[in-house]
Amino acid sequence: MRLIVFLVPRFGLAMVTMGGVALLVFVALRLLPGGYADVLLGPYATPEARALIGARYGLDQPVTVQFGKWLGALLQGDFGTSMVTRKPVIDEFLRRAPVTAELATLTLALALPIGGLLGVRSAVAAAGGSRGSFGRLVGALGASVPEFVLGSVLIFVFSHWSLGLRVGGFTPLTQDLASNLRSMALPVASLSVFGIALILRTTRDAVLRVLTEGHILAAVARGETPRHIVRHHVLRNAAIPVVTVTATYFGYLLGGAVIAEILFSVPGVGYYIYSSLEGRDYAVVQAGVLLAAFAFVSLNMLADVAYALIDPRIGATRTRT
Amino acid sequence: MSTPGRAILLRRLRRDRLGMLGAVLLLLLLLLSVLGPVLPLGDSTEIGAGPRLGPPTAAFPMGNDELGRSYLPRVVQGIGVTFALSSAAVAITALIGTALGIAAGYLGGVVDGLIARVADVLFAFPALLFGLLVAAVVGPGQISAIVVISTATLPLFVRVIRSVALSVAGREFALAAVVAGASPWRVMAVHILPNIAGAAIVQLTYALSIGMLIESGLSFLGLGVQPPDASLGSLLRLGSVYLNVSPWLALIPGVVLALAIMSVNLLGDAIRDGLEPLRGRALT
Repeated sequence: MRLIVFLVPRFGLAMVTMGGVALLVFVALRLLPGGYADVLLGPYATPEARALIGARYGLDQPVTVQFGKWLGALLQGDFGTSMVTRKPVIDEFLRRAPVTAELATLTLALALPIGGLLGVRSAVAAAGGSRGSFGRLVGALGASVPEFVLGSVLIFVFSHWSLGLRVGGFTPLTQDLASNLRSMALPVASLSVFGIALILRTTRDAVLRVLTEGHILAAVARGETPRHIVRHHVLRNAAIPVVTVTATYFGYLLGGAVIAEILFSVPGVGYYIYSSLEGRDYAVVQAGVLLAAFAFVSLNMLADVAYALIDPRIGATRTRT
Repeated sequence: MSTPGRAILLRRLRRDRLGMLGAVLLLLLLLLSVLGPVLPLGDSTEIGAGPRLGPPTAAFPMGNDELGRSYLPRVVQGIGVTFALSSAAVAITALIGTALGIAAGYLGGVVDGLIARVADVLFAFPALLFGLLVAAVVGPGQISAIVVISTATLPLFVRVIRSVALSVAGREFALAAVVAGASPWRVMAVHILPNIAGAAIVQLTYALSIGMLIESGLSFLGLGVQPPDASLGSLLRLGSVYLNVSPWLALIPGVVLALAIMSVNLLGDAIRDGLEPLRGRALT
């Protein structure tokens, strides 16, 4: 019950957000050069196909009606047709989504434990009187190196000396697991450094904030060991900001880590959207932005569920924050 | 911020070694890019000044690019463009974000709800994908880069300012002003605005570092600064083509870019620690 009271309004807000995202993308499509039939069908469409699109989306009708019809088509999974492959855009995305999902999952699997552990240690060290400069420096440095800078360095190093990893050349997961992981290693490495820094900084702040609270003083006074205090009194209380940042970061990765995918020729959705922009395949760009926003909003919903599970006070009383 | 508050902050900043490192680095990079045109660095536009893709030498300390231009003045120019574009975008974020954040936090109600929904929508767009969409609509270039950076940094900025404004609005002096009959405009401008300055500055340094990341990312994809102008990201884009022949063309702007962003991050961290020191309890 508590969960429902907490989640239902948030679900409503997520729906409103998705509606806003769709509206913004719709406006962007209207502003695109060439008009909507060109966007959906490409410049080489036959007049009949244009007439069909005009009828389906009611291009002669008021803009509000057009938006309603467009939204209705989206809800049925009709994201338009790629002018390059002549196939529904949604199929093209579903075909590439597993690659991006794998890249995102591996990156998070690396970033979350390392960033979390370093963050907790750095905060405890800072509270223990050392200045905690190491954690701060690693956090600031990692958050400052763009993935394409790190990626370029990795490509240079691994293509100059044979160190066991190939640069470029992607093997699908279903084909050969070991070879797939080897082709994922460099993109994951160049992406996860920012993730490690992001999670380190968030964890460090959250833990340091908990360490200022009274119940920590009480636990120290009771003579509990640092390890016990961290496990029983700190981690859960510090978890919420870390969950928020992790969800945001994972949503960003799922939206297609465009640059890493391009650099390392990983055939995921980010690479697809970028190459579609180069080919003026706007229906793909449009669908890509919508799907990325959808992934992002869904993950934030999941984070909301996690808040309620972590903190039993959430949803018990309603307060304005 | 009050004068004694500022003095305390400055004293804490001076004691913060990493923060000072960031400040000095940032100052050096800014000086270099501002003074670049008058310093004897060489001509950034002279084609064939040296050998094509030439390695660093005494005459060309950073080597030569694919047209034989000296790379050093081009990198210096790139630093300036990267800073200028990101700062312009973040200045827009600061203006709009402060106004919206204070209005949302102080006025509450419908205004708050509306601003929060718009922020949610903008927050849901991954910045680079949004950049692809904007580039499709208005074409790649500096204007679309500024639009993308501003929209990407705005939501978080508004949320932070809103929560600070909300807490300031509940304090005695703000309530006293309301009771004394001050108009909402006066309360927001005279009583709330000065008290959110600290939080705003910290958040702006983070917005600047994110803005530099986005700008260089867009330029790396060819969607930001267009030739013959160059930012650090677009230099890296060109350099990465020749990564195997002349790696310094990619590595130099890459390292400079990382240092520039790090200097902003270190300074931001130091200001935040100075404004709100967290003194955690030692566990032993």
